[in-house]
Amino acid sequence: MPKERSVTSTIFTIVVFILLEIASLLLLSHNNQLQKLWFMRISHGFSAKVWGVTQKVNDYFSLKQQNEKLALENGRLTSEVRSLRMALNEADSTFMPELKENGFMYVPATIVKSNRKSQHNYLILDKGSADGIRQNSGVITSNGVIGIVDAVSQHYCYAISFENTEVNVSARLGNEGAVGPLSWDGMTSDGAVLKEIPLQYKFNPGDTVYTSGYSSIFPSDIPIGVTGSSRIINGATNEIKVKMFQDHQAVRYVTIVRNTKLEEIEELEKEEMAKDKEAKR
Amino acid sequence: MKGNFWITYVILVIAQMILYIYCRFTPYIILSLLPVMILCLPTSIGSFAAQLIAFGTGLVVDYFAEGVIGLNAAALLPVAFIRRPLISLMFGSEPFERQEGISIRKYGFARVSLAMLIVIILFLIIYILLDCAGTRPAWFIFLALACSTAASYVMSLLIVNQLTYDDRR
Repeated sequence: MPKERSVTSTIFTIVVFILLEIASLLLLSHNNQLQKLWFMRISHGFSAKVWGVTQKVNDYFSLKQQNEKLALENGRLTSEVRSLRMALNEADSTFMPELKENGFMYVPATIVKSNRKSQHNYLILDKGSADGIRQNSGVITSNGVIGIVDAVSQHYCYAISFENTEVNVSARLGNEGAVGPLSWDGMTSDGAVLKEIPLQYKFNPGDTVYTSGYSSIFPSDIPIGVTGSSRIINGATNEIKVKMFQDHQAVRYVTIVRNTKLEEIEELEKEEMAKDKEAKR
Repeated sequence: MKGNFWITYVILVIAQMILYIYCRFTPYIILSLLPVMILCLPTSIGSFAAQLIAFGTGLVVDYFAEGVIGLNAAALLPVAFIRRPLISLMFGSEPFERQEGISIRKYGFARVSLAMLIVIILFLIIYILLDCAGTRPAWFIFLALACSTAASYVMSLLIVNQLTYDDRR
């Protein structure tokens, strides 16, 4: 009981102190212009600090929405840039046909599920056949290759991640260098290996590796990463370590690229293969 | 002496007003007896009453001498607030049990001086900060605090024996 009384008495003393101190400061600020201005300056500074912190917290919690907006905007702009470039190329009579890049459709998407625990990783994306996605579409970001669409439902698609030992992407060393298959190194989230580079092609550590555009899944010239150390395999080719720009652990927003002329290319390949078979008979 | 405490207290409040009005030779020195007067209030007076006395005394001095209403009251309230915990810390529970003052003869010069310095510094920090209202540089505040503490401490030494009650006298 005396302890309770002591606590109550302490609280009462503190409350009285705070009230009297506030009364004194109010008297001081009401009766003196200098002190009034000083208190106002302090209170404004404090309000500004509190407002700033609140704003930062709000900004932080709206980051997800902002990211989604930016991803959509980025996808739209990429698509627009590609179509404008195509229109420009077609209008330019001096344009060299082999540089023409066309036939890719860009759809922004979000990774809704990601399995990164094995050597055969996959991703589920929130775009499906209703959005124009087909099997064998590529999944990219502005920093590199993420995976290849393997199966499509109406609103989702299943993509084999680049972090999969079975996936190879055709990649090129520098702007005009040798082309070889690039695959995940199986260990780190930003490590890859570029294989089958003939020994006569010279390169330096730090050279950029791009998509070659030969696979008909990915457009050409997407920067993937930079070269690191290398070793000679069987005395015939170089195997080069590549540090990718895109850390696969951090990716959430991607762009699905679909080659709209893939069917036509595949049809042509089939016809040629059929002709070869007939010729062999 | 105990019966005459309030007479002495009122006389010292008037003395404080005279000091504020006539003994302001430099802005670096503030002569204040008020914090030690609050420290030396009879130990039978609780924190609530001590705070009311401090608030009232501060306002009276502000009104009649300073012209800056609320300045002494705001600076004196924290002294009243920490008075009981400070006495307990420095002198134990004896002053409260025997209801006696914190006399130099009984508790020693060093301990009483330290308690006086703590309340004077606390009072002067708040007083100078509020008085300057952000218009003076830090070096001025530190210099004024040092000079005022020294001057107020010497002045307070002269009055502390008048305010404290000692059975052995």
